[in-house]
Amino acid sequence: MAADVRYYDIRCVRGEVTLVDIDNGVVESAGTSFFDKAVIRVLGPKGWGFLTRDHVDIDSKRELNALVEEAARLAAVTADEIDLADVPRGVLPVPPLKEDPRDIDLEEKTRLLAGIEEAARIEGVANTRARYTEGIDAVRYLDSSGNEYSYEAVRSGFSVLAIASRNGVMQMGSERDHTTTGFNLRGKQDLGRKAGEVAVSLLDAKIPKGGARRAILDPELAGVFTHEAVGHASEGDLVREGASVLGGKIGEAIGCPGLVIVDDPTLHEFGFMPVDAEGVAVERTEIICDGILRSYIHNRETLAAVGNGIAGHARAEHGAPPIVRMSNTFIENGDATYDEILAECRDGILLIGSRGGQVDPGRGVFQFNAEYGYLIEGGETTDMVRDVSLSGEILSTLHNIALIGNDRKMSPGYCGKGGQSVPVSDGAPHLLLENATIGGRGE
Amino acid sequence: MNGEDLIERVLREGTRQADEVEVFYYRGESIATEIKKGILGTAEESEAWSMAIRTVNDGRIGFSSTGDPDRWKECLDAALASGRLATPQQWGGFPKPAELAGTASAADRDLVVAVEDAAGMVEDLLAGAAEHPVEVVGGGANLARAYMMVANSTGTLYGMDRTAASVSLETIREQSTGYEFDASPFRAELDPRSVGEQAAFLAARSLGGKEIETGRYDIVLSPIAAASIIGQVLLPALSGRNVKAGRSSLADKVGEQVLDESLSVYDDPFAPGLGSAAFDAEGVPTRRLAFIEQGVLRQFAYDLKTGYRYGEASTGSAVRSGGEPPGIGFHNLFLDGPRMKEPGDERAVWIHDVVGAHTANPFSGDFSVEISNPFWIEGGDLTEPIRTAMFAGNVFEMLREVGGLGKDARRVGRLTIPSIRLNNQQIIGK
Repeated sequence: MAADVRYYDIRCVRGEVTLVDIDNGVVESAGTSFFDKAVIRVLGPKGWGFLTRDHVDIDSKRELNALVEEAARLAAVTADEIDLADVPRGVLPVPPLKEDPRDIDLEEKTRLLAGIEEAARIEGVANTRARYTEGIDAVRYLDSSGNEYSYEAVRSGFSVLAIASRNGVMQMGSERDHTTTGFNLRGKQDLGRKAGEVAVSLLDAKIPKGGARRAILDPELAGVFTHEAVGHASEGDLVREGASVLGGKIGEAIGCPGLVIVDDPTLHEFGFMPVDAEGVAVERTEIICDGILRSYIHNRETLAAVGNGIAGHARAEHGAPPIVRMSNTFIENGDATYDEILAECRDGILLIGSRGGQVDPGRGVFQFNAEYGYLIEGGETTDMVRDVSLSGEILSTLHNIALIGNDRKMSPGYCGKGGQSVPVSDGAPHLLLENATIGGRGE
Repeated sequence: MNGEDLIERVLREGTRQADEVEVFYYRGESIATEIKKGILGTAEESEAWSMAIRTVNDGRIGFSSTGDPDRWKECLDAALASGRLATPQQWGGFPKPAELAGTASAADRDLVVAVEDAAGMVEDLLAGAAEHPVEVVGGGANLARAYMMVANSTGTLYGMDRTAASVSLETIREQSTGYEFDASPFRAELDPRSVGEQAAFLAARSLGGKEIETGRYDIVLSPIAAASIIGQVLLPALSGRNVKAGRSSLADKVGEQVLDESLSVYDDPFAPGLGSAAFDAEGVPTRRLAFIEQGVLRQFAYDLKTGYRYGEASTGSAVRSGGEPPGIGFHNLFLDGPRMKEPGDERAVWIHDVVGAHTANPFSGDFSVEISNPFWIEGGDLTEPIRTAMFAGNVFEMLREVGGLGKDARRVGRLTIPSIRLNNQQIIGK
């Protein structure tokens, strides 16, 4: 290895993406595409040089040497002094597939997806759309420390969208399911029907009034809350760069007693990975324990620079350099039943499902949107509401959790950061939040 | 095998098995430098190669793409297999060779994709940021050059160069953050120093904001905030596919006043810009398209597939992203109108950016977002920072009456847009 190369690694992902897109009963497209991407990272005297290429032969010593040399030239212009922490190694077994999507022909996938899409087309629904996504990634990795691994990841899933329309008013309902454990299109028509029913009932929903009040978050939305309000701010790269309000807060109480927040890449949920993208063994990381900030989630360089946490959280979209990411992020169960939470809330709002969210971790402010909700009056749900969002501040919101339910559920999705999208899951039990800032344009 | 030879082989082999074949070919190189903690942290160089194939047989459209030249045959077979599953539709053929209506302005001959140049831009960003007492947390400078070709079995073959230079900077002071960016095909159009200065100004100046009470206020959306909210809602409603599928609330409103009469929305593919193109992503010549003229809805955007299916003509609006089939999009979109009155003259809440624009309801237009770097503005000056708040409304309703457009139009992605004053809007304080 050349003197100015302290370390290198190469990660190749070769694979296929199969997409089926059905719009109002019409098969718009159904087919497979192919990719073969490689990322070479070299740590020079100071910082990183990265190369990305299509179609690299990882077994060719000559090709690899030439790429390392080129990346070293890039590393030479950097000024950030990087060190890499020593880390545990190891690769977990990939969960067995209950049914391998590759054993099912495209025609059957299309037919099953069409069934789900058709189920969404109930009275009042003007448009339905369903999309099946299947990704087969064959990953190969090797580094200058002699580590080498390979594994295969098979992901499949679908989303279904229904749009109801009446007198110029349009509302949507959507459902999705994504897994790492095998083909999941069978027996899912009920999700299609649910998307249709939500869209139609939202036509008559009220627009809530904005302001501070008590809110109950359902497990899906509470999962997004966990991801946006805590997960991103605990990422070691943001902490290192001074871009997170959680920097320097290890050991401080930032949430209510009993609150436990975890990122766990070992779970066989949608964010599962057998080993991280820089060859580090993955393990469960308790970010918050009993309301106290305990750990950041790290890669090797942020662990070395920041400490207080666990590496093994580096992830990458194929063809992009790894960065610190969440995997399966959740709030552990408490002991309140849903009925107790409803009774304790008395008057407030129940928020259900997620239309996504966003956070500014430096300012400590987050926002996310529910798919719909219900007003709560006298401990009972009453009118349905739509287009309702919730915002808050990371450092105060977690203290406002008044009750933690006992019914945690995980939901799959994709998370974007630094232009890269990776599969994740997040979840929580039902939560009761005091003094939540609800955004809605009703008056 | 170079791109042209490969395209010819795919077309020749493909037409043996399909009525028609189309190949879209792309190769590009780029440099990305990233700032970490106020210094140059990482340098990345990328080379990309991709080919996408579409086949048409009796109105059944097949598609596949690959990043590996050696797998072109597998890719062609996958396209044919996918065509066998597609629902057949009305199809009038890929475009024949035609006279282009204008020339694209999307490539800078002088732009060099070199890490030294990107590192120089980073230095300028940091020098600009040093003018205010803040810490730089991230950002970077990118340079890219690409060549793309579209060819089909009726003899159409176009190729074009594209370049892009972009910079961004993220700053923080205590819990006050600032973010600014710019991108252009032309390196000389970027001023990294002033982008850096502005990002630092936002973080420095937003510190110590005062609370705002929930209520109705006159507001001014900066071009960035306006582009975020409008991009999520108004643009999808102009796509012909959404119109015909029942997903656009503008569907039956052609000829009606849908926005304030001062507002026009048009796509000018020949204007300089990152999306500038003389032919679209399926080889149809582009032209200037006025979607909304003085508030009146005139037309929607179509590609070949949606056009043929519903008896409309393609408007040359096909675009591609990643390895996906072409879809309906825009080249260089402008939201424009006469500048009567400076939007920030009379006291208002000025909003630099919003958090969570993608959660807006694209069909109803309803949104409620968190606002970033809000200030009181008066006499055109940012007088006093405001602490965090939410802004809720409906895109279609709020654009029916605007209180003025700024002279500060800028490119935000593929949309060029000025700041917009909107009176009597709902702000939710904490």
